[in-house]
Amino acid sequence: MALADSVNQHLVETFTAKAAAVNAVVQELPSMAAALQYVVDVCESKQPAELLTNEPGTEQGPPGPNKQPTRVKRIVAAPDLNDADLAALSKTCEEKGFLCIRDGLRRYVAGFDVGITQARLGVAASGTCMMNTDSEDARLAGMIAEIHVIMLRKSTIYPDLPSIAQYLRERMAEGETTYTTLVSGPSRTADIERVAAVGVHGPLELHIILLED
Amino acid sequence: MHEAPTSLSEYRKQIDSALQDDFLRRTLDTFAVSYRANRESIFREVDEHGLINKITEARDNACRHMEELYARFKNNAEKRGVHVHRAATAAEANDIIARIARENNVKRIVKSKSMTAEETQLNDRLFADNLIVDETDLGEWIIQLRHEGPSHMVLPAIHLSRYQVADDFTKVTGVKQDSDIQRLVKVARVQLRRKFIEADMGVSGCNFAIAENGAVTTVTNEGNARMVTTLPRVHVVIAGLDKLTPTLDEALTVLQVLSRNATAQRLTAYVTWMCGAGACSVNPDNKKILHVVFVDNGRTEIAKDPLFSQIFRCVRCGACANVCPVFRLVGGHKLGYIYIGAIGLILTYFFHGKDKAKVLCQNCIGCEACKNVCAGGIDLPRLIREIRSRLTDEQGSDIQAALLASVMKNRKFFHTLLKFAKYAQKPFTGGTQFQRHLPAIFLGKHGFKALPAIASQSFRDRWPEIVPKVSDPKFRVAIFSGCAQDFVYPEQLEACVKILAAKNVDVDFPFEQSCCGLPLEMMGQRKTAVDVAEQNVRAFFGKNYDAIITLCASCASYLKHNYPPMLDHDARLYAEAKAFADRITDFSSFVHDKLELGPDDFSNSGQKVTYHASCHLCRGLGVKEAPHDLIKAAATYEPCEEEEVCCGFGGTYSMKFPEISAQLLRKKLTNLRSTGASRMVVDCPGCVMQLRGGAEKEALNVRVDHIAELLAENLKR
Repeated sequence: MALADSVNQHLVETFTAKAAAVNAVVQELPSMAAALQYVVDVCESKQPAELLTNEPGTEQGPPGPNKQPTRVKRIVAAPDLNDADLAALSKTCEEKGFLCIRDGLRRYVAGFDVGITQARLGVAASGTCMMNTDSEDARLAGMIAEIHVIMLRKSTIYPDLPSIAQYLRERMAEGETTYTTLVSGPSRTADIERVAAVGVHGPLELHIILLED
Repeated sequence: MHEAPTSLSEYRKQIDSALQDDFLRRTLDTFAVSYRANRESIFREVDEHGLINKITEARDNACRHMEELYARFKNNAEKRGVHVHRAATAAEANDIIARIARENNVKRIVKSKSMTAEETQLNDRLFADNLIVDETDLGEWIIQLRHEGPSHMVLPAIHLSRYQVADDFTKVTGVKQDSDIQRLVKVARVQLRRKFIEADMGVSGCNFAIAENGAVTTVTNEGNARMVTTLPRVHVVIAGLDKLTPTLDEALTVLQVLSRNATAQRLTAYVTWMCGAGACSVNPDNKKILHVVFVDNGRTEIAKDPLFSQIFRCVRCGACANVCPVFRLVGGHKLGYIYIGAIGLILTYFFHGKDKAKVLCQNCIGCEACKNVCAGGIDLPRLIREIRSRLTDEQGSDIQAALLASVMKNRKFFHTLLKFAKYAQKPFTGGTQFQRHLPAIFLGKHGFKALPAIASQSFRDRWPEIVPKVSDPKFRVAIFSGCAQDFVYPEQLEACVKILAAKNVDVDFPFEQSCCGLPLEMMGQRKTAVDVAEQNVRAFFGKNYDAIITLCASCASYLKHNYPPMLDHDARLYAEAKAFADRITDFSSFVHDKLELGPDDFSNSGQKVTYHASCHLCRGLGVKEAPHDLIKAAATYEPCEEEEVCCGFGGTYSMKFPEISAQLLRKKLTNLRSTGASRMVVDCPGCVMQLRGGAEKEALNVRVDHIAELLAENLKR
């Protein structure tokens, strides 16, 4: 046991360093409750989401940094939380005046605030999370949200890509059709003069919450 | 879309103008230097060569089983609701995709990056059907706005400045955009989000088509491929047949190298594995309409070629451009047609035809920097030389090359010509080692360096007088001199003989040896090169030397790596060629590793000496430390910046592209100057010719010599 624990801690440290190196914010939290509170805090402290295209019937606030109108009622999307966790998150969101949604995310593709999804596993060597993104909503939560929060259990961190081959294979065989994503940091580009810029088409920020089992 | 050059003179004009582009030069200079350092550091975490070997093996295996893999992929993908197509030609692929658009009543298309779609020039075909097509990768979008082709496979807009991008974005948005890069990126975010939402169809490329489960994989940083494959109701994947891979294990191996090699990242932000036609809520049945279009365009034929099938090891990382000294000077638009860099020259020949490739293929200096970093271990310089030879076979050679080939076939005639040249040059040398007074008409663009004179007495003429008498020798070796040292720099060989004799080594010099043949291959004269190879191997037949020493790194690396495969048509000859190649040893390695010369063998002169690592020594033979140690033993070693970057000689290359050769030399001399050394040594006469000529022309007070000369001078009696 002692050996397994120390190995695990080493992987957690490597994962944390490599994820941070690609601009992910890594946060260790003791419980799901703390994680959900973190999500609400992140949503509360961020700038309101910009609406990059017209969304009829939505209340608009003053323009954001890209001169686009902003969303007044903040949105937290949580497509893959279990019922109990979703209920807990919804309750806190309601208190803050946020909209907490599980599905129908296509309605909000103009842009929303926070998407929270759960990783199947992590890869320490590159700070990568493997995501089940079979459902459109799971994809949109990690694509359209300005801040993507991933929850990752520490015990599911593996050393490197070869060590997850079998898990990836099983993941891809979970249904007749599957869509799996490896995520390493927020979306990025260096296409103009090779200057690094974060937040191109996908999330502007990626937060990874490391949970104990 | 730029055009491929069709004549060398037109191409050289284009190169001239690229060399004047200060922004491009600065950008690519910074890129080359930072990439080298970042790549090195990111590869320290993995077993680079182990992984590359695994990729080589996996891709070769996939190539051998292309048909089987296609059948397996098709079967597995169709089970999961995917429509799989196979197009024999680029035009057919485009037609299939246009038909899919028509059948699904598509008006707007968004694309994520696909070099295969660039190869087939898909956009032009779709525009012809009045479809609205938008590229969504930032770099691809920028060049689309400018109606240009990519200048790099991974960084398509690397040739453009933020100001140019700001102007383009101002035009497309109708609002003045400032040149802050972070802001420009957000302009793309806003503009393209609308396009993702409005699109009916997404077209993506494909990094891996996995046969075991029929999945396609995309590798991106910006997240645009996920948008393209998720939001529109139709998704079309365009993939070369070479993207087929048996299982996801090979994909995971490649992924460990691809991003590291491309952009010095551990992994890109997103790797997406799409297995089957998944959920899509805008279709009535909540199913994506997913088509995969495989493009052949000659691939099944190339797959059967024993030599060229290795091009399918390419993972499209672009590293061959990143390290290419020519790319660094002229940029991708001048070093490729659609595919860029060393692999681009080769793929142009196969995918876009010899007319587009024949001039481009001349623009490889042969420094092997690309081969050294290739993710698939492709022997890029060799394939480029081979294409030149094929072009010669197909189209005939230019007069110069044909003349060279006919002279070289006959060693005696060739050597006689060289001896006559020494009389012919007399009026121009003024008795010095340089041709000082060549009429300008002969110099033309070659005036950037002083050209050496043919020596008054060749090494082979001096040999009878200097052959050392050794009793009870420690080793028995032979010298392979190469033309440059035999006829231009015999003193370099004499220095070597002096050291060997002093260390009790018996030396032989077989007279029947001739040119190594590399210059012939560089000029596309493969057949004569094979003849010459046979002559040389026969010259050293059955003598059982302990080593065959060459002081020319280019000869050494060529003899060692190319002779056995060149002579494999005859079993006995092949065995002799193999034995010959195994004995080929460069000078530095022999005196360092075999004779074990060290500080005790020299009276250290204390002179500040710097070093240029010849391409074919440091990369061709992997010899890096021995010359450093030897310099330190005989003098004070001063490290030089970018020691391993090509000096610009490249044999016949410097005659074909003197402008590029001159620029490379200038960089080298600048770095040399800042070492403060009074002498530079190298282990190759070609580099001596280039560097000494440059130093003479710029009147630097620096001697350039072969390392053997430095060592012979300081050898303890």
